[in-house]
Amino acid sequence: MFPNQRNLCVRFAGAAGQGLQTAADLLGKAALRSGLYAYSYTDAGSRIRGGLNFSQIRVSTAALMGVVDKCDLLIALSKEAGEKFEDDLAENGAIIGLEQTDHPRSVPFGLEQLARETGSPKVAVTVGLASVCALLGIEQDLIDDLVSTRFSATPKLTETNKKAVSAGYQAVREWAHQQRYQLPLALESAVDRLWLTGHEAISLGAVAGGVKFVAAYPMSPATSNLTDLAAWAQDFGIVVEQAEDEVAAINMVAGASYAGARAMTTTSGGGFCLMTEGISLLGMIEAPAVVVLGQRPGPSTGLPTRTAQGDLHLVLHAGHGFFPRVVLAPRDVADGFEITAQAFDIAERFQVPVFVLTDQLLQDSQAVVASFNVANLPHQRHLLSRDQLNAMEHYQRFAQTDSGVSPLAAPGSSEQVVVVDSDEHDEDGHLIESAQIAKRMAEKRLRKAQHLQQAKLLPEPNIEGDLEGRTLIVSWGSTYQTIAEARAILRQKGQEFAHLHLRQLWPLPEELLRRTFDQSASLVVVEANLNGELATLLRQACLVQADHVLTRVDGRPMNVQELVDRLAGVVLS
Amino acid sequence: MSVRLEDFHSEQEIAWCPGCGNFPILKAVKEALVALDLAPHRVVICSGIGQAPKLPHYLRVNTFNGLHGREVASATAVKMAAPDLTVLVHAGEGGAYGEGGNHLLHAIRRNIDITLVVHDNKTYALTKGQASPTTDFGTSTRIQPHGVASSPLNPLTLAISQNCSFVAQASSVMPDQLAELLQTAIAHQGFSLVNVLQPCVVWDKVHTYAYYQKRCTPLGPDYDPHDAQQAFLLASKPSDKIPVGIIYRADRAVFNAAETSGLDQPLREQAVDPSVVSGYFHRFR
Repeated sequence: MFPNQRNLCVRFAGAAGQGLQTAADLLGKAALRSGLYAYSYTDAGSRIRGGLNFSQIRVSTAALMGVVDKCDLLIALSKEAGEKFEDDLAENGAIIGLEQTDHPRSVPFGLEQLARETGSPKVAVTVGLASVCALLGIEQDLIDDLVSTRFSATPKLTETNKKAVSAGYQAVREWAHQQRYQLPLALESAVDRLWLTGHEAISLGAVAGGVKFVAAYPMSPATSNLTDLAAWAQDFGIVVEQAEDEVAAINMVAGASYAGARAMTTTSGGGFCLMTEGISLLGMIEAPAVVVLGQRPGPSTGLPTRTAQGDLHLVLHAGHGFFPRVVLAPRDVADGFEITAQAFDIAERFQVPVFVLTDQLLQDSQAVVASFNVANLPHQRHLLSRDQLNAMEHYQRFAQTDSGVSPLAAPGSSEQVVVVDSDEHDEDGHLIESAQIAKRMAEKRLRKAQHLQQAKLLPEPNIEGDLEGRTLIVSWGSTYQTIAEARAILRQKGQEFAHLHLRQLWPLPEELLRRTFDQSASLVVVEANLNGELATLLRQACLVQADHVLTRVDGRPMNVQELVDRLAGVVLS
Repeated sequence: MSVRLEDFHSEQEIAWCPGCGNFPILKAVKEALVALDLAPHRVVICSGIGQAPKLPHYLRVNTFNGLHGREVASATAVKMAAPDLTVLVHAGEGGAYGEGGNHLLHAIRRNIDITLVVHDNKTYALTKGQASPTTDFGTSTRIQPHGVASSPLNPLTLAISQNCSFVAQASSVMPDQLAELLQTAIAHQGFSLVNVLQPCVVWDKVHTYAYYQKRCTPLGPDYDPHDAQQAFLLASKPSDKIPVGIIYRADRAVFNAAETSGLDQPLREQAVDPSVVSGYFHRFR
């Protein structure tokens, strides 16, 4: 936790299907409307009903988006949840369980009993949500309103849930220790903020980037993007197709891209493996495309509902033969919007596949963020117009240029024909056997890769903290906020770390990295995989060997306290 | 000005063997497009890998020569993105029925308006004569020296069983009828499968020009392609007579990408306007 920031961490724990995520979602929305910040993530197994899952949400007076291991309030919606997570309670923490128990941390009321009094034991989760809101000092009207909206389709459910809200508030009012959890609210916030998930931010980013075609096959944790865009398709004018398999999905993306659509697919590691020949096709026919890859632990099916950062090398090397590509990774929920919007412009501008690496943690995290600024996002297509094409005597899809980027046209735009081929081809796009042309076309793709390396894609990364003589943390993807909080705590303890977080993983800003590494005393790479994928890449690209690689491989997110301990250990060692 | 045969003229050197059954198909495609008054820039031909999929290079036309077996998936997306263009797929039976079998099943389900022309020569010719999905049981090849141990796939009964909206068979030994059938298939609204029986002059000494000339029998005027049971029987019954013509037709809803997108212009015409997302922000407040 950033020192001096007030915050409360709440864990809704129980079985799949009990409404844990809904409770966290409504609490976050209530926090947003009360001028507070919130950040939640989910820990769930691969099942629809039963098991032991949790949704953990931090509510705070300033933006705190790190993952923490301790909670102040444990809303235990099963006996097992109370027993299993008891040790995760913070100092002063309380358990709000189905029954009041003689546990010293138990509150003097039970959710199930209160729920039963409203007429349905199923609304215990709502009583829990209401008691948390009451403890925070959030207005009951606000929760009533949120519950009414959520259950508006079923008036009976609305009534039962509103009674549950009332019961939760009443129980808290009668409890002596309620004051200790209150946060100062700011109902009249001047700042426009949003409460949304990582996948929603990425999907909105795709819309802002002009996505017009989506083909994908469902796979956790990327299905949510497909679901978002399918639900929004008519509002934004997007063709969304559930492909018969991932091979079809990527070949559909190639076809739609050829036809002039801004196209994307979403998948996870296993599905992406099926796509790799199609990725090579995109490289050969220089088709713009965005691939959102939601990482989860592998190999093979791995842990389907858990998180990892193990697919960096997969996307760097996917597809046979050499062709230019771009790899981006959002660092948090808000960044998912910006990076995805930029990805579509980069893809079309350079006619390359752009990979957006997200992961289960980021996809399913939800955060209060500043409303997105859309004014500075790119808003141009990079296609030749009908007039430009008609003025040409003979259009060549793969015309030679200094940059290696050929003018792009879609079939049907004019009377010119557009020819592409997965075989090696000439400038016209026709398949060839000539050694001379083959060399020329391979060199064109190499020139484009060099051009990409020099081009400004995303801004150069900031180095946070004073670098001189200090240990530098290098990281990528969804770990950013957790590392930032760990650094702040270490700073309080007198241990300063500099931090470089990479959002653009390929091409790498090699010069900046070498310069930065030269200045730092030592280098620690933090990433959630087994083999130190970024550390390996830095060694390959920048000839620098990390002194330490802090990894986590159990499918659970790294947390702030863990990083504080491990980073402190690095300095001591 | 109406479209002429010369509009499709290509300078590309043709890599097919002399006497290849692909030549009459190339000629028939051009004739069908001319008859339908479809100019080269209004047509996209998608293909994969093999000798047949080289076809789009041999006429001047928009060309997407993609991956082996994936030509139908890519063509589906081309049509979704550009509903104003006419989309054809030229594949061998290896691409269409082997590597791409799953895509064929789902193209039939979708019933999107594309025409799949399968150059069926019952052999993998470009990889030097291995068995294809339609090679006869017992045929010996270099990989199956003791004879193919699987039964051949029947593309016609497969398509009819799934209520494919247009199923036809033709042969490159009957070029005029082939051109006419292609014209009807392209004009058909929905997914059309045209299986073209084609001799391979190098690897197959059984299914020769003479073999097909002797057996291919056009369907008579009394044949009703809307009768599914009759079509299935015709396509499945072993016979010395090979039926050519429209085997089956079904009236089905045609896949319409605009139904999900609400767009009435092709996707290539769509501008980028990041500000549209602002209209959704209230959902997250």
